[in-house]
Parts: sequence; structure tokens; C-alpha cells
Amino acid sequence: MELFTPEFGLVFWMFVAFLCLYFILAKWAWPFIIKSMEERADMIDKGVAYAQEAKMHLDNAKTEADKLIAEARNKQNEMLRDAERMRNQLIDDAKGEAAVEAKKVTEAAQISLEQARKEAEKQLRTEVGDLALQIAEKVIRKNIASDDAQRKLVDQYLSEIEAKN
Amino acid sequence: MKSKIIIAIVALVIVALMGWGYYSTAQHRAHGHASELNPKETIFEHLGDAYGWEVPFNHSARIPLPIIVWGQDGLHCFMSNRITDGQTYDGFKISTSEEHHGKVVQVMEDGTEVRPWDFSITKNVAGIIIAALLVIWMVMSLKRWYARSGMKAPRGTKGFLELVVDFVYGDTIRPILGKHAPKYAPYLLTAFFFILTMNLLGLIVIFPGGANLTGNIAVTLVLALLTFLITTFSGTREYWKEIFWPEVPMALKCPVPMMQLIEVLGMFTKPLALMVRLFANMMSGHMVVLVLVLLIFIFTNLFGVGVGIGTSIFSVAFTLFMLLLDVLVSFIQAYVFTILSTIFISMALVEPHHHEAEPQQEN
Repeated sequence: MELFTPEFGLVFWMFVAFLCLYFILAKWAWPFIIKSMEERADMIDKGVAYAQEAKMHLDNAKTEADKLIAEARNKQNEMLRDAERMRNQLIDDAKGEAAVEAKKVTEAAQISLEQARKEAEKQLRTEVGDLALQIAEKVIRKNIASDDAQRKLVDQYLSEIEAKN
Repeated sequence: MKSKIIIAIVALVIVALMGWGYYSTAQHRAHGHASELNPKETIFEHLGDAYGWEVPFNHSARIPLPIIVWGQDGLHCFMSNRITDGQTYDGFKISTSEEHHGKVVQVMEDGTEVRPWDFSITKNVAGIIIAALLVIWMVMSLKRWYARSGMKAPRGTKGFLELVVDFVYGDTIRPILGKHAPKYAPYLLTAFFFILTMNLLGLIVIFPGGANLTGNIAVTLVLALLTFLITTFSGTREYWKEIFWPEVPMALKCPVPMMQLIEVLGMFTKPLALMVRLFANMMSGHMVVLVLVLLIFIFTNLFGVGVGIGTSIFSVAFTLFMLLLDVLVSFIQAYVFTILSTIFISMALVEPHHHEAEPQQEN
């Protein structure tokens, strides 16, 4: 039964030792340790929250940047298409104008050509008539009395030739 | 390969120790010091307290410790080596009688033995002081780390210490006690580390350890008493009301105070259970190890050396297992003591329940 009867001296010393230990640690160690640990835990918690937030921001920024890039690309494509269309239109317009101009020039040239031809024809007719008259006069000088009647005849013949042509 | 070398070394050491033990026993016998093996006495000697501290591999030499006694004629102080071999010094000797076996007694003129007030620094007291110094050193080193390194996380031993502190404080004391935690944490943490250190020191078989501290009822008595005092003195009005006027049918509390009796008994059984639990767990662990080791000698005495060697293999294996189990038990019991103390304190800090207020809030 010796094991189950507490020894007075041991109880006394245990009491003293525990109280000394308690007062030393309670005064200088535990509050400080607990405070430091809690502060560090707080700091770590805050750090984690901050990192999560930062990551969220980063993710958002990435999606936003992707969106911007896609938008820019769309715009670029649109602009390219516009430019293409405009160029085509310009070319078409230029072609149309050129055609009109060319047509005008051609028409003017045809008109002047026609006129020149007509004039040339007229001149030619007069000259041929004169020539024919001279020839005929020379041929039939003696046979033909009046100049005027013969000239009429030549004119008549010439008209007939012309009508034939 | 490495593990084979370690096993070989361990086996060699065991065989060498056995041979050396056998040789020294034979020497003892040859010199006429033959003593019968008394397992019961050996076990109780190892479990109990002693004046002086054994050193390994020697039966007679002891580290002397101061003996402080208040006898019939005042205070006496002397070193324990003056009386541990059976001498009488200054009228004091270690009793061999049935009543005061193994304790210092004062021999009166008529030959009767009187037990003085014994404040001796016995083996257990020295062990307690060593444990207390170790705890101070451990905790202060952790504190110094925080003071010096601030927010950096400690590594190695200090990291482990911090883990344990966080486990006990952060996961046990704070959730249970809530806003009261900072007030009671120093006591609970001190108790935890002190008990843990004493438990583990008890498992080391040579000098700074080897004292069966928490397996001694005086030590656990003080610890339980402190928890009891804290619980009692921090009791709220509600706590005392629940003891002396609990909310039970009138027939149970008046005129025969049945509930009161049970509640008051409960006040004392709770710390009593704390005391006995720690004591019994640690003591039984030590006892099993001692019995396992003694089996070797008992079988050697009974059946000769051959059987003794066979038993020693079995015994050493089981002792190793038991000691490892005791390391676990050391942690568990220190933690159980702390968590139960915390719960008892939290029960003493109980606030009124507001039974009538709740239904009104619902409406």
C-alpha cells in the first residue's frame, strides 16, 4: 500500500516546484508565445487571403486582356474588309469614269472624223467635178457651145455616180 | 545492409551485457554477497522513491542527495550517503521496520522509530526539479525564438514544440474555454509540458531519468489538487447554483438533498479521477516493463542460464514494445490530463442558460 499513500515531503516539493514553474512561465513565456503564435497565424491568414485576391485579380486581368485582344482582332478584320471594299469601289469607279471618258473621246473623234470626211468628200467632189469639166472641156471644146448646159450635165452625171456609190 | 549492421550491433551489445551481468553476479556470489532475488521488493523499490540516485551498472554506488528533516530536536541537513548503507547518522537512519520501510526515521532513546517531517530532496524531488528546469529551458528557448525571429516559423525541435503548443492551446484550450482561454492557458500549458516531461523522463532508465514521477501518487495528487482549486475558485454563480439547487424535480432535492449530495461528490470525484488516471497509467507501464525484465532473472533462477537467455530475447522484445507504447501513453496521458482540466474549468465557468428567454425569441 506504500504506493498509494502520498509522501508529505514529495507533495510539498511538487507543489513548490509546480508553483515556481507556473509563475516563471506564466509571467515570461506563455502569454508571449501565445501572442506571437496568434499574430503569426493572423499574418498567414491575411497573406493567404491577399494571395487569393491577387490571383483572382490576375485571372480577371487575363480574361479581360483576352477579351480586348479578341475585340481588337475583330476591329482589325473589319477595317481590313472596309479597306478592301473601298479599294474595289475606287477601282470600279475609276474604271467607270475612264470608260465614260474614253467613250466621249471616241465619240468626239468620230464626229470630227465624219466632218473631215464630209468636207473631204465635198472638196473631192468639187475638185473631181472641176477636173472632169476641164477634161470634158478639153475633150469636147469644140463640140459644146454653151458652158453652162454642159456643166449641168456633168453635175447630173456626177450625182448619178454618187447615188450609185 | 545498414539495418543488418544495426541489428548485429544491438545483438552484440545485448549478448555482451548479458555476459557481463552473468560475470558480475558470479563475482558477487564468490564474494559471499549472495542475495535471494525478491521480485516484489525489486519492483516496489524501482517504482517508489529513494534517498540517493542509482547509477548504471552498479548496485552499491549512488549519487548522494540532501536529506532535510525536521525531527524532535529541530532541523537536520546531511547528505544521503551517510545513511543509505544502513548506518545511523545524527540519530537518523533508513528504517527497515514494517511501518516506515525505506523512509528516514529518527531513533529515539528508547529505541522506537519516529518519522520526522521529511523535506528531503529524494530521487523523485530531484527528478521533479530536473523536469521543471527542462521545461523552463524548452519553453524559454521557444520564447527566445519568437523574441528574436519574430514572424519566421521555427524549425527542428522548436518547430515540434510549437506544434505541440498549438495543438494543446489552439485546438484544445481555446475552442473549449473561448474568451477565458488566455487566463487559464498558462496553467494548462504548464501542466501539460510538466507532465509530459516527467512522463518521458520516467522512461529513460539512467540518471537524469528513471524516477517514476507521474507514477507516484503524491505528484498526481498535487496536479489534481491544483485543477480542483482552480475549478472551485473560478466557479460562477450558475456553477454553485447547479450544485446546490439544480433544475430537477423538487422531490430529488428537497427535503432529502439527493442531487446536492451527488453534485458535491462529483466536485471531488472529477479531480480524484484525474489523479488516479495519470498515476495508474504511468505506474502500470513501469510495472509491466519491470516484470518483463525480472522474468529473465526469475527463469534463470528456476531453470538455468539457457532458459534465461531464451527468455531474455522474448523479454527484451516485449520491453522495447512496452517502452514505445509508454512513449505514446506519455503524450496521451499528459494530453488527457490537460483536456479534462480544461473541460472541468469550462464547466465551472458556466453561464445561465436562459431557458425562458429562448421561446420568446422564436416568436
